[in-house]
Amino acid sequence: MSSQVTLKINGQDVTVEKGTRVIEAAKLAGAEIAHFCYHPKLKPDANCRMCLVEIEKMPKLQTSCSTEVSEGMVVETASEKVVDAQKGVMAFLLGNHPLDCPECDQGGECQLQDFAHQHGAMTSPFGEVKRTFEKSYFGPLIEKEMNRCVSCLRCVRYCDEVIGANALGSMNRGSMHEVGAFARQELACEFCGGCIQICPVGALTSRLAMFDYRTWQLKKTESICNYCGDGCTLTLEAAKEEITRVSSEMGTGRNSGDLCARGFFGYGAINHESRLTRPLLRLENGDLEVTWQWAFDKTSEDLKAIVEKYGAKAVGGVISAQCTNEAVYLFQKLMRETIGTPHIDSGARFGYINAVSALTEVFGTARLASYEDIVQSDCLLVFAGEMTETNPIAALKVKEAIRQNSAKLITVSPYNARRETYISHLPHLAHQHLQVQVGSESSAILGLTKAILEAEPASATPQAMLAKMKTAVSGISFESIEAASGISESQFQKAAALFRSAKRGVLIVGRSVLRGAEGHEAMLRLAELAVISGQIGRPGCGILPLSKESNAFGALEMGGAPEFLPGLQLSDPENKGYNLLEMVDAAARGEIKALYLVGENPLRSLPQKKVKAALENLELLICQDLYPTETTALAQIVLPASSYAEQSGRFTNQEGEIQKLRPAIDPVGNSKPDWEIFSTLTGKLNTKEKTPYQKLRGHVSADAVWKEAVMAMPEGWSTQKGAKPEALSVYAENAQIAWQLPEKTVQDGLFALQVGQSLFHAGQMSTYASGLTTLLNAPVILIHPEDAERLSLDEGEQVQLSTEDNKAGIQLPVKTSKKVAEGTLFVSEHFALSVKTLLPLSVDKTTGVPAGDSGWVALSKISVAAS
Amino acid sequence: MPKYELVLFKNMAQSGYTGSFTDYKKTGGYTAFEKVLKEGSPANIIDEVKKSGLRGRGGAGFPTGLKWSFIPKDHVGPRYLCCNADESEPGTYKDRQLMERDPHQMLEGMAICCYAIGAATAYIYIRGEFDLGAEILEDAIAEAYKAKVIGKDIFGSGFSLDIFVHRGAGAYICGEETALLESIEGKRGKPRIKPPFPAIHGLYQEPTVINNVETLANVPHIINRGAEWFASIGIGKSTGTRIFGVSGQVNRPGNYEVPMGVTVREMIYDIAGGIRGNKKLKAFIPGGASAPMMKPEHLDTPLDFESIKEAGSMLGSGAITVMDEDTCIVWAAMNLMEFFHHESCGQCTPCREGSGWVLQILRRIEQGHGREGDVDQLLDLCGRIEGKTVCAFGEAEIGPIVSSIKHFRAEFEQHISEKGCPFHPNAALSMAH
Repeated sequence: MSSQVTLKINGQDVTVEKGTRVIEAAKLAGAEIAHFCYHPKLKPDANCRMCLVEIEKMPKLQTSCSTEVSEGMVVETASEKVVDAQKGVMAFLLGNHPLDCPECDQGGECQLQDFAHQHGAMTSPFGEVKRTFEKSYFGPLIEKEMNRCVSCLRCVRYCDEVIGANALGSMNRGSMHEVGAFARQELACEFCGGCIQICPVGALTSRLAMFDYRTWQLKKTESICNYCGDGCTLTLEAAKEEITRVSSEMGTGRNSGDLCARGFFGYGAINHESRLTRPLLRLENGDLEVTWQWAFDKTSEDLKAIVEKYGAKAVGGVISAQCTNEAVYLFQKLMRETIGTPHIDSGARFGYINAVSALTEVFGTARLASYEDIVQSDCLLVFAGEMTETNPIAALKVKEAIRQNSAKLITVSPYNARRETYISHLPHLAHQHLQVQVGSESSAILGLTKAILEAEPASATPQAMLAKMKTAVSGISFESIEAASGISESQFQKAAALFRSAKRGVLIVGRSVLRGAEGHEAMLRLAELAVISGQIGRPGCGILPLSKESNAFGALEMGGAPEFLPGLQLSDPENKGYNLLEMVDAAARGEIKALYLVGENPLRSLPQKKVKAALENLELLICQDLYPTETTALAQIVLPASSYAEQSGRFTNQEGEIQKLRPAIDPVGNSKPDWEIFSTLTGKLNTKEKTPYQKLRGHVSADAVWKEAVMAMPEGWSTQKGAKPEALSVYAENAQIAWQLPEKTVQDGLFALQVGQSLFHAGQMSTYASGLTTLLNAPVILIHPEDAERLSLDEGEQVQLSTEDNKAGIQLPVKTSKKVAEGTLFVSEHFALSVKTLLPLSVDKTTGVPAGDSGWVALSKISVAAS
Repeated sequence: MPKYELVLFKNMAQSGYTGSFTDYKKTGGYTAFEKVLKEGSPANIIDEVKKSGLRGRGGAGFPTGLKWSFIPKDHVGPRYLCCNADESEPGTYKDRQLMERDPHQMLEGMAICCYAIGAATAYIYIRGEFDLGAEILEDAIAEAYKAKVIGKDIFGSGFSLDIFVHRGAGAYICGEETALLESIEGKRGKPRIKPPFPAIHGLYQEPTVINNVETLANVPHIINRGAEWFASIGIGKSTGTRIFGVSGQVNRPGNYEVPMGVTVREMIYDIAGGIRGNKKLKAFIPGGASAPMMKPEHLDTPLDFESIKEAGSMLGSGAITVMDEDTCIVWAAMNLMEFFHHESCGQCTPCREGSGWVLQILRRIEQGHGREGDVDQLLDLCGRIEGKTVCAFGEAEIGPIVSSIKHFRAEFEQHISEKGCPFHPNAALSMAH
């Protein structure tokens, strides 16, 4: 049977795929049919009746959005009957519509304006009193102006069908119909802004930029979001060199036009008044703002002095994993080649290196699964209960797989899965939820591995590996695994069977593993689990490690780690540099004398006391950042960097997709893109023979840097997708596979505390975005209502968290949430870094990743001081 | 002594009949169901119903047997029967009487239908305001379970059936079959786009038959007395009896069961006792609020599907509303539009916006603020609603408006030119609420 259908539209033959809607076929034939409720992302609802067409042999006009094409169909989209019907519908829509286009933020990109222009009458036949609604709001960021609403329900349907938050619904009847919010629960609305984006009129608009622009004044630039590793394409819209709005065109990018709260409402950080705008030197008698010329001279002279005095190895550099590939490449080149030190690291050290290093070791590549693989999979094993919060758009792909393919979702996470949590919380959607105790994800990996080994491991598993794995698990009983993880043998068997039997299974790994204790080893064990499950080496299967930073993958691939040269080539083990923590230790010892920190603020990300002492021990601290931080306060030289919105370059997202950034505005103040700063410094520090032009200007553009970087890469570096069989067999031969007997983790009388991410924040940058701070701007401890009741805690009451080592502890307010399990606490990290001082810090034995996201604490009421 | 033989009302016409299971059983109740379970095949039942010519009593008059035969034979998974007891058409109150006075008659009909279409679950979607009816049905279902005429393995046949009562929440639109399905599913009651039709994708996307109470109540009689007997009642393609609910300015308003084909004249002047106070007939609605109005010249039209349709209206739910010479037609049209505007679900543009717009114009005319061109605009607006809505509600709401203008245009013009209502001089005051 042919999958093609030929029909006639306005006398023209059109051949389209079977199942195409008439409205889409007409578009291909060059006849755009006016519409409001139709949207390619949504199921047809045929409620606006604007897209009526005449179809031969059908007595009534048909809605072209809901009618599928059929062979030999004859369609008229502009016959007299059709035009008359469209005029009628338009008259109905305009009847009650207010004449407030001059002050409506949608004006200029309003479908009602556009189609009224085409199909509306010159005069209004409506001579009655208009029905009116009071203006109201969906939370702090969304304005609802129902007088403008055309009741197309795109917002409601988008929220239901795409986001899965079900926050909106229809209220009232007839001409009093309106869109209402049912947001009574925590996170019922995710503030993704999707309803605003999809509204064809000005019924739902952003309060963040109300009346700030007319749409045609906005300069639009397509770029990549820097709030997480999802790699979403967004359109930065600027008025007068200031980002005023963000959107994402339907269907574009890895995100196909969907955004999260951070992407949509988080742009305020870019033009924030706190941005560093001029280079700053910290002199004995005070701070001095200087020109770039002066700053470059000073920086290069000071670095040269250190190298001359102590040798090149006295210099170290750390760059943020939110910097572009070009920046990281030039930075490591500056460190390794120009200065000659091997001490170079990046923010990928905070966990993502565990994934890239383990996966390349086992499979020869970390490009193992794409979003398409997730969407088309029939079973997803997700070690990331907080995926909606950390990587909201990748989580949408999971939801899409569930919705479209009835994919089975298995989640492994300490969070509760109950319905009362919130609807888009992934464990809530799980077919099977393995609710582990906090920090015991690796026991769950062990349980699943054992269950598959004892059933039927994939026949493609290398024999050597299989034998080693069997030996490794042989002495461990399910009872001991259950004692540690809280998951029974039968639960493991059920989940294992589900994943093992999937036609296309994808394993997704988040921060609970990557940033957990011994994350590298856990990742190796997960890779092995994927192999014995048969979910590797076949199309549509694979592993996707989730990245918190926008360019963690790229930072490593560009050589932003002591163990990796560009292209993930292993560096010389004889001359291996220090990683981040080692550099801090070396600074404390006085071995490293100069540190160059780019977008990194170790005083926040690592134990403060130790780092402060180390940084104060340095002779030279150079900080390059967007905002003043605790660390820039200690620096001798502070260089103002441009944000992602002000520069060209490339990010590599967690799938390994390399995507281009484009500057939407000029650099804020006198800031410069990172790559440009490194390029100039390289020129100044380079003693080798150079043409005068290179000496003076360095690289002329980010593209020129990229060309150079690509030349430095090994063959096939970015095109190799999917496991290399030869790498796997080498790994199988050499691997040392061992399992420790899992330990029982629960500590009686104490709470398991987990620090994690909020949907509304990512890193420090988001805390400068007013849109996001409106949603969350203060730390809070999430506690299960039962626990709160047991301890008779009121909502918002301050409590004290303490440990044996830190009796004074810290004080924070509590908020009840059924998302957290009883006996566990959750604190969002963005406003309460001090909470990390309560948690033990473990350092990964292979990768040196600092893990300090969870631990055991005592919670006590604060007795009212007698005053 | 009634002139015509009663079928559906026969039991309840006996003095002392309570509608209990015992009473129903005494009249031969559930023998039809037992008979089909023991002897009849589903295909035979559907054939028999087809042969009887039974047509839907809810309003559209779709052939019942044909509807049942649309359920895919080879479908794997559940099928459903939904009994539409959301009787909300103004002037219609026949199903209420059938449910309250003889609930087992319709339950038996449902059971037979379920067996014929292979459904193991049936829902009765009953209008929210019918407290008593819902209570009676719940009791009757409990009795039926107890007597094992529904439940597991009925009469040892292996056939099982569960019946549930689902109460509506007060929306007229939920009587529209697909809105009814949405409502049972727990969603906002709004009509679905068709196709797909409920016979293929109905309740929970499974094949579903939706039948009216009166339609299902006829089924046991067809099984017991045969399709030929049923087809011999009525005229032409309108077979069987029909319960007509007469209301308005007549001497004896009420539900009357008569063979289809009696004339309107007989119905109003004979059976319902004529117009109150010997006033003259001005207009009547033959089939519920959404049926176009008719005039005295149509009095000799037989009350069957085809004849009424030919005369420009529809038999609909069989609710005959009589208006005498003192009735203001503009007021009547406005009153009906108040209802339709209130009940428009708001889903699709023409109905949502059109109902409010039309109502505003009618109110103005009645209050004496009519403008030249209003009548044409009303017709224009109705034309812009007709055929362009998601469901049949659009046609329903314009029916009374278009027909009242067609038959009584002069009265509308008079309201406009005289700037007031000749029947209600104080209309503007009385409507100032």
